[in-house]
Amino acid sequence: MIRSTQKWYDKPITKLILVSIALTWMFPIFGFLLSSFRPGEAIKRTSWWDAIYTGTIWSELSFQNYQEVFRAENLDRSFYNSLAVTIPSTIIPITIAAFAAYAFAFMEFKGKNILFLFVVGSMIIPLQMSLIPLVQLFKDGIEIAGFPIIPALDLNGTFVATWFAHTGFGLPLATFLLRDFMMGLPRSVIESAKIDGATHFTTFFRLVLPLSVAGIAAFATFQFLWVYNDFLVANVFLGIYRPENLVVTSHMSQIVVGRFGEAWHLRTSGAIISILVPLGVFFGLQRYFVRGLLGGAVKG
Amino acid sequence: MGGYLLANKLELKKISMKQKTQEKKLFTYGISTLALGIFPLFWFLSQAILFRELTDLVTRNVLVLIAIPLGSTFIFLLFLGMDKLIKLVPKDSREVLEARMFVGPSIFMIGLFLFYPAMRTIYLSFKDRYSNDFVGIDNYIWAFTDAEMITTIRNQVVWLISVVFLTLSIGLIVGWLTDRLNKGESFFKSIVFMPMAISAVGATAIFKFIYEYRPPPLTQIGIINGIRVSQGDKCWNNRIIDGEFYGFDDSSCLAPVGWLQQRDLSGLPIAESLESGGWFANMMINLPISTLLLMLIMVWMYTGFAAVVFSAGIKAIPTEIMEAGQIDGASELRIFRSIVVPYLKSTIVVVGTYMVVTVLKAFDIIYVSTRGDLETNLLAVKMLDEFSKYRNFGRSSAVAVLIFVCVLPVIISTALRERDNSEG
Repeated sequence: MIRSTQKWYDKPITKLILVSIALTWMFPIFGFLLSSFRPGEAIKRTSWWDAIYTGTIWSELSFQNYQEVFRAENLDRSFYNSLAVTIPSTIIPITIAAFAAYAFAFMEFKGKNILFLFVVGSMIIPLQMSLIPLVQLFKDGIEIAGFPIIPALDLNGTFVATWFAHTGFGLPLATFLLRDFMMGLPRSVIESAKIDGATHFTTFFRLVLPLSVAGIAAFATFQFLWVYNDFLVANVFLGIYRPENLVVTSHMSQIVVGRFGEAWHLRTSGAIISILVPLGVFFGLQRYFVRGLLGGAVKG
Repeated sequence: MGGYLLANKLELKKISMKQKTQEKKLFTYGISTLALGIFPLFWFLSQAILFRELTDLVTRNVLVLIAIPLGSTFIFLLFLGMDKLIKLVPKDSREVLEARMFVGPSIFMIGLFLFYPAMRTIYLSFKDRYSNDFVGIDNYIWAFTDAEMITTIRNQVVWLISVVFLTLSIGLIVGWLTDRLNKGESFFKSIVFMPMAISAVGATAIFKFIYEYRPPPLTQIGIINGIRVSQGDKCWNNRIIDGEFYGFDDSSCLAPVGWLQQRDLSGLPIAESLESGGWFANMMINLPISTLLLMLIMVWMYTGFAAVVFSAGIKAIPTEIMEAGQIDGASELRIFRSIVVPYLKSTIVVVGTYMVVTVLKAFDIIYVSTRGDLETNLLAVKMLDEFSKYRNFGRSSAVAVLIFVCVLPVIISTALRERDNSEG
């Protein structure tokens, strides 16, 4: 075999470089994870590597920090809030985008190209561009010449504000990705359904939606992780207004910024809890995540 | 005579038919306004008001329990309601309405929640802090002359160059080396890719622990300062050996450094060894250490993404080409330079674009670590500060527009290249 002439990949140096990169990447988490099991006093008294070196660490390890972060810090409440923000913020844009994607892929109507250009063009708008007016819109509504188009709703500080905000920010990408995916579906199947007299509504629910599960899963994984890990939108629309509506990232930022001085036992355990859900989703759905990520390379 | 009557009758029939079609048209118009205009607005308002009221009405646990299923399914009511209304219309004009019903909500939401606010931001950026009077380009003049803004722009440039360069180059190395492995490829890739799933807030907490600084007699728990203070024979990081306490509070020991407060090299031993006066020394002394250290967090988070994408790209290179290179006796480095990199050129550009856009919108890392103080600020943080801290909507909008203007050429050039690729 030709491959046998090439011995480079067997050379230890490849593995050496890779192992050292991998160790470098794991190292920050290692000390952090270890410290999350040490009592607050011990973290401050001896550094974690000294504790390993002298062997005292084994007697220190416990789940006490985790209990404390739940009991005294109400991190579980923030965790449920995060789910209440994330799950609808994933499903709403997918639903709307799937309908639109179906129309762009299989229906003929006036202004189709212009509307699609509008959707794609919106992808380049960074969400910072929309932040301030959106906060004002949710508070005061829209008025044109004194006539209210959208009444003053005073939505800021409620979950529904984040749902709508994430829907707006996620929709262009979702529509674009799902349309791309649906264009790949066999056209003949959809056409034969139409000949059989199925309405678009039925075709969409019975035929196209089940066939698009892979595409939907890719975007769903991406959007779920994005919204769950998001801090900016949650901070602007939820954090400032009602403290009991904090999501995990905002809550963690408060702990990390230092409401309690050097509470490293809470910072470590809290952060570890907050990254468990995304890590689970990540390892479970890595394949879809990568696909969504590649499509999302231009998300605004 | 009879012919005349017949003609008259026909005329009458025509008129009544015209009336009928007009009625039908009117009915269709009514239904379509109802289905596509009034009903969606009603849906939007009812969802908004329902959940706003629920927030105060029910206890928290119930709220969360209701919010998840109801918030997720409420959207289906919109489409089901529109569909029911459209069914009232005669069949021949239904097709058009159905298309509008499918596309409408998407266009409406993008327009209302993304496009309209973005346009308004541009408009607000020309107004004063309370959005009352037009101030021309004053906000933009401020953006390029204010000392804090100049530092912010400098940091943004440092971030852009360094983060993009480091993630691309390390990602390329990891992607290529893992491809050469016989086994363990996905293992190594997963390890480097994993930080991508962690929130920037979590990643910042992790790195803050590494950079941690505590005033001298206290034990250094951040590993960088820990190693720093325990250099030298008599220096220990407050360790107890055989019941005796060994510290670093000695003049011969190195003092810990507040890394995230370190805006330049002053106070560090490297600064003294630099020759004073030269342009290189001048540049080095101003090296923003804290900014560079914060930037590493982002490199840690995004390198894996680059590696995974590059690895997929490398797998797509035809094996014959690689083997031809090997037969010709090219070294691995040569193959990498002359085959792998040229082949991955478009992939590198795509990942680079993604990174440029991500860095321009970087917010969480700075906000959680230094809050933008001590000359570490970035545009996205500055934008929010102007909005929520200083309440200056005009300046905040100007900064947002600045981010947009930086993103624009990058994405447009990508889109153009994509079009050229698909055409060619």
